Amino acid sequence: MKPYQRGLLVATIAIAGGLILRVRGKGPVPPISNGGWRELQGPELR
Amino acid sequence: MSTVLVVGLGQVGVRASRQLLDTPGVERVLVGAPDLGDAREIATALHDGAEPLRFAPGDSVPDEVDAVASAVPGEVDVHVARAALRAGASYASCAENEDTARALLDLDGEAQEAGVRVVVGCGLAPGLSDVLARHAASLFDTVDEIHVARFGVAGPASTSEVRRARGEPPYEWRDGQPLRDKRRGPQLVWFPEPVGARECELVATGVDLLVQANPGVPRITARLGEPPPRRLPLASPRDPGVAWGSVRVELWGSRGGRRTSVIYGAIERTATAAGTVLGITSAWLAGTGPDVATGPASGAFGLGVAVKPVAFLAELAQRGVKSATFEGVGVA
Repeated sequence: MKPYQRGLLVATIAIAGGLILRVRGKGPVPPISNGGWRELQGPELR
Repeated sequence: MSTVLVVGLGQVGVRASRQLLDTPGVERVLVGAPDLGDAREIATALHDGAEPLRFAPGDSVPDEVDAVASAVPGEVDVHVARAALRAGASYASCAENEDTARALLDLDGEAQEAGVRVVVGCGLAPGLSDVLARHAASLFDTVDEIHVARFGVAGPASTSEVRRARGEPPYEWRDGQPLRDKRRGPQLVWFPEPVGARECELVATGVDLLVQANPGVPRITARLGEPPPRRLPLASPRDPGVAWGSVRVELWGSRGGRRTSVIYGAIERTATAAGTVLGITSAWLAGTGPDVATGPASGAFGLGVAVKPVAFLAELAQRGVKSATFEGVGVA
């Protein structure tokens, strides 16, 4: 295998590995909310 | 009848001018720019009698001006404020820069001597966020924590300010003093839709003003989120939230012996929200519009100190910038 082909292979593997890690991510799952936003009105603005 | 001078005719300044032109009692709106041609162009685009004025930082403010609405870059804000004080005019600034805000607050003595007000932080955050925090605080017996977050930028100058703020060492207010912890990572903050969940960095911007308006609160933080740069013109439709600006204000404290929280927020185009806040504040400083005053009759202070939250939020809502409250609980 020629040096440039080896370099290309290493770069391809590195990019593929990086993509997998990026897609999987890390850290906790964001909390899910069961609430919602409601416009302030009436007595709240009096 | 009163006269207001608007300086800094970017996206926020132009929208503040529009609001002033729509305010009954504001007789004259002067739009000032270093180049008279630019000022004329904007006055013509605004219609409704806006008057162009050649005004550069360092120039004198005309004597007939009752209030100045400033959206100029932070480095010249104090010079324009001093010119306003010399002319006996009150001053509203939407400066985001922490150093600029401090320099404007330092004009307290001069403003008292002149018998006028210098109101600092008249934008989205600082600005509307401070008023929402004060409104929320009124629902508690004691407040333990205030956490403010903002997402969105108004224009190129605002983008630069947000990047600078996110790049500078942050601090939070903890037990009566600034706590300069080592740099922490971003936090996911939930804003009203379509902005939704965004990563926001801890910043120093606006903390001083929140502390001034809420003395005795042990913990205060401020965070900023920046929309991703638009490298591809077709990329934005996938994320409609990037075109919007939003604030979220979360307070923790006790009410009736129970620890509880209140979350307020608002969503609007960033420049529109900031321009509306600046417009209403400067109209009030000029002696027109609804009576929103609550703070000292003269001096330099933040918007949270200067106005009655309910009256101010009601006026904002009437002009289309509506506030909301989050109801419900997060479940992991």
